[in-house]
Amino acid sequence: MVDVLSPTTPDQLRDAVGWALGSETPLEIIGSGSKRAYGHSVQTNAVLDCSKLSGILFYQPEELVISARAGTPLSDIKAALAEKNQQFHFEPGNFPALLNGASGPNAGTIGGLVACNLGGPRRIKVGSARDHVLGFEAVSGRAEDFKSGGRVMKNVTGFDLSKLMSGSFGTLGVMHTVTLKVMPNDETSATVIVACSDPRAAGKAMTLAMRSENEVSAAAWIAPEDAPHLDVPLAGEYGSGLVALRIEGPHPSVAWRADALCRALADFGECHEVPESHSHNIWRVVADVVPFAASQNAGSILWRVSVPPASGGNICADLMEKTGGRTMMDWAGGRVWLQLSGSDAPDGMAGTIRDVVTSAGGQADLVRAPDDMRQSIAVFQPENPALARINARIKENFDPHGILNPGRIAPVSQNGEGV
Amino acid sequence: MLRMPEPDQNTLARRKDIIAAMRDIIPTPGGVIVDDDQLRPYECDGLMAYRQLPMIVVLPENTAQVAAILRYCHTNKIRVVPRGAGTGLSGGALPMADAITISMMKFNRVLDIDWDNRAAVVQPGVTNLGITRAVEHEGFYYAPDPSSQIACSIGGNIAENSGGVHCLKYGLTTNNVLGVEMVTIEGDILRIGGKGLDQAGYDLLGIVTGSEGLLGIVTEVTVRILRKPETARALLLGFNSSEEGGNCVAAIIAAGIIPGGLEMMDAPAIKATEEFVQAGYPLDVEALLLVELDGPQVEVDYLIDRVGKIAKDCGAVYSRISESEEERLLFWSGRKNAFPAIGRISPDYMCMDGTIPRGRLSEVLTGMQDLSRQHGLGVANVFHAGDGNLHPLIMFDANKPGDLEKAEAFGADILKLCVAVGGVLSGEHGIGVEKRDLMGEMFTSDDMKHQERIKMAFDEDQLLNPGKVFPTLHGCGELKTLHAKAVADKFPDIPRF
Repeated sequence: MVDVLSPTTPDQLRDAVGWALGSETPLEIIGSGSKRAYGHSVQTNAVLDCSKLSGILFYQPEELVISARAGTPLSDIKAALAEKNQQFHFEPGNFPALLNGASGPNAGTIGGLVACNLGGPRRIKVGSARDHVLGFEAVSGRAEDFKSGGRVMKNVTGFDLSKLMSGSFGTLGVMHTVTLKVMPNDETSATVIVACSDPRAAGKAMTLAMRSENEVSAAAWIAPEDAPHLDVPLAGEYGSGLVALRIEGPHPSVAWRADALCRALADFGECHEVPESHSHNIWRVVADVVPFAASQNAGSILWRVSVPPASGGNICADLMEKTGGRTMMDWAGGRVWLQLSGSDAPDGMAGTIRDVVTSAGGQADLVRAPDDMRQSIAVFQPENPALARINARIKENFDPHGILNPGRIAPVSQNGEGV
Repeated sequence: MLRMPEPDQNTLARRKDIIAAMRDIIPTPGGVIVDDDQLRPYECDGLMAYRQLPMIVVLPENTAQVAAILRYCHTNKIRVVPRGAGTGLSGGALPMADAITISMMKFNRVLDIDWDNRAAVVQPGVTNLGITRAVEHEGFYYAPDPSSQIACSIGGNIAENSGGVHCLKYGLTTNNVLGVEMVTIEGDILRIGGKGLDQAGYDLLGIVTGSEGLLGIVTEVTVRILRKPETARALLLGFNSSEEGGNCVAAIIAAGIIPGGLEMMDAPAIKATEEFVQAGYPLDVEALLLVELDGPQVEVDYLIDRVGKIAKDCGAVYSRISESEEERLLFWSGRKNAFPAIGRISPDYMCMDGTIPRGRLSEVLTGMQDLSRQHGLGVANVFHAGDGNLHPLIMFDANKPGDLEKAEAFGADILKLCVAVGGVLSGEHGIGVEKRDLMGEMFTSDDMKHQERIKMAFDEDQLLNPGKVFPTLHGCGELKTLHAKAVADKFPDIPRF
């Protein structure tokens, strides 16, 4: 029988962690549970459910700041921002839809978003969640309250623990409050699409676009078989793959830059400007990685590769050749999604993939795979030993008894080590 | 008065041996500085109120030497003070009598410019402006621009997470650094991050940036470079009160416009700078906004027009738009010379660096006037209005007995006021020694201990830059102890399922 603790206040949260510490009961920490299938699965007899630590504490649009309890549903936050014509600039997509057993659109909590350091297509320009977290309050594995940062944009007071907590998967502390920077929606946007089926050529086109002065805010490539998802005329008509480049800003500027970009990319293939109405759909498809959604791809395995953007085209082509998988590129090549059919890759092909990626100075993380595969291979790119030593010490110092999401990032080894 | 850790007599007694060991590691003449007159230039950084001659200064030339020095210091328990260009304003590079100051200024090469990945790999002693100089011929630049950018080093920028006047739109150092090579006190060479956007494990790059030399010594830096905007234009807007000026800033942002630069000055600052550089600032306004829009010409012209209209609605009594690049630079010349301008009318000044929620500006400025009367010292304000970062300039005379202490007390009260309204002690200058003893205003003991636990993961013996950032560094034993009070054996109120 699994014990589920559902604190409703920060004090109760501290007591719950205190009990776990005192009784040496490891906790699986969840918000809405939408990303439970991400990372190594955590084997515990107790679940700390933070979804009742919920509610927006303050939202000041003119100060570009929102603060909420960590368990606040993302859908509530997005609705509040949309009402004021604002957004999270890092554009998190519907990541849970990529995982097995995930729930509907806008699933997840604001705390989970930060803990997983999500970031969408605009990351190439503005970073991910970690670049937008202004502060947090949490309880560490020592059952002590601690906080860092604040609610202001510019702050160098003490070590920046907000960065550390972003992407730490609940292994260092349980956040109950997060404060993030928000940004206004752009006045308008347009997308330039270029017909391009070869990932190597697509990589070159995206690199050229990013080097130009047209302030491209997102650059993606989608393969011919997946291009219909973008629902733009070129896709149906030509049956080719597509490079999509987004321009955002005030109307006259967007029009001017989209024209300039089309001219610059003429050599790569048929080039069109897609109006704002269609542009939104394109970037939702890219942010949510719609072609590789779990619901449409039963039994498949999904890898997420991160490399220096300009090498993305070559890496993508290499991975396709060596694994036979389907791919999609975001972040101007900096992120490559790779989907393999489960039956073709019973071992996940981790060795092959990581060989290709590591030699280019990148990393590969396993996003979706059956439970047993996620237990038998390293889901996240293994760190080099010197960094791993520092990370293990940080974990040890924040959570000495290993009660917070043990093994979520690295599987727990025989001697009980792992973060 | 500032208290630093007591010098270790044992280390001082071994000075000769230590010098010999350093000369073994750095054979280049001039690489190890030991004479008082040559140590003198290193006795302080940009915070000149505090001075201390270092035990020795070393100038390593490569990563292997840095690793050897730190390994030696670790083995022999010798304290280390890392130093970049020495322009820091919070005393982060203040030497210690028993410590080796490691100057990184021989690491001055640009190693690689990767246009396709829009990244530059440089050594830490390259100046901030040096990066822009190295890439501007292809139309690129490095965005964070602290006012010391002509002299400050990128390594120092990483230590302090430096800002500048374009942070609201382009972020701080931490948002523009992609990777570092760093040597730990144990002599390990770490590579954190790189040209890709993700890193494995915890976000150590985020922790190292802004760690004020307490975690390691950075020996190589990879930064993001951006395309220089096609053009930029600025508006000068005058208001009858700082409140109206603040409201105008809020209205611009509420309209969805994020200007590249958004600065505000109060009446004393306007007057001092106008007398100094004759930028054409109006002298009959209480608050002056400098708004800069950058981007393609068509965008800038469009936004200038919109901002002009918003300002009019907000009650601007003065409005001028730059019609040429010369005029834009003239507008900026006043703001950029605000510090020396105050230096001209006051024998000494102390530059503070709090950040506040923008909406509390007029309240804070009023509070500051009260404090000014209370402490009997004048104050002028320049303000990064877009991101809420205040730079009150406290005017005093160091030759007048008691004036420095008064200025320090005034400064501390200003920072306490910033924290009280929801702000922070430092927006971009760092804590160093200057604000160290005020950390308790913002953080509980447990907050600080969690920060110190990061320190402990990198530098258990606390050899790197002791006496900085934390009012008291707890021993490792204490930091490792689990406190019984935290451990609850029951929790009757928590819903369980």
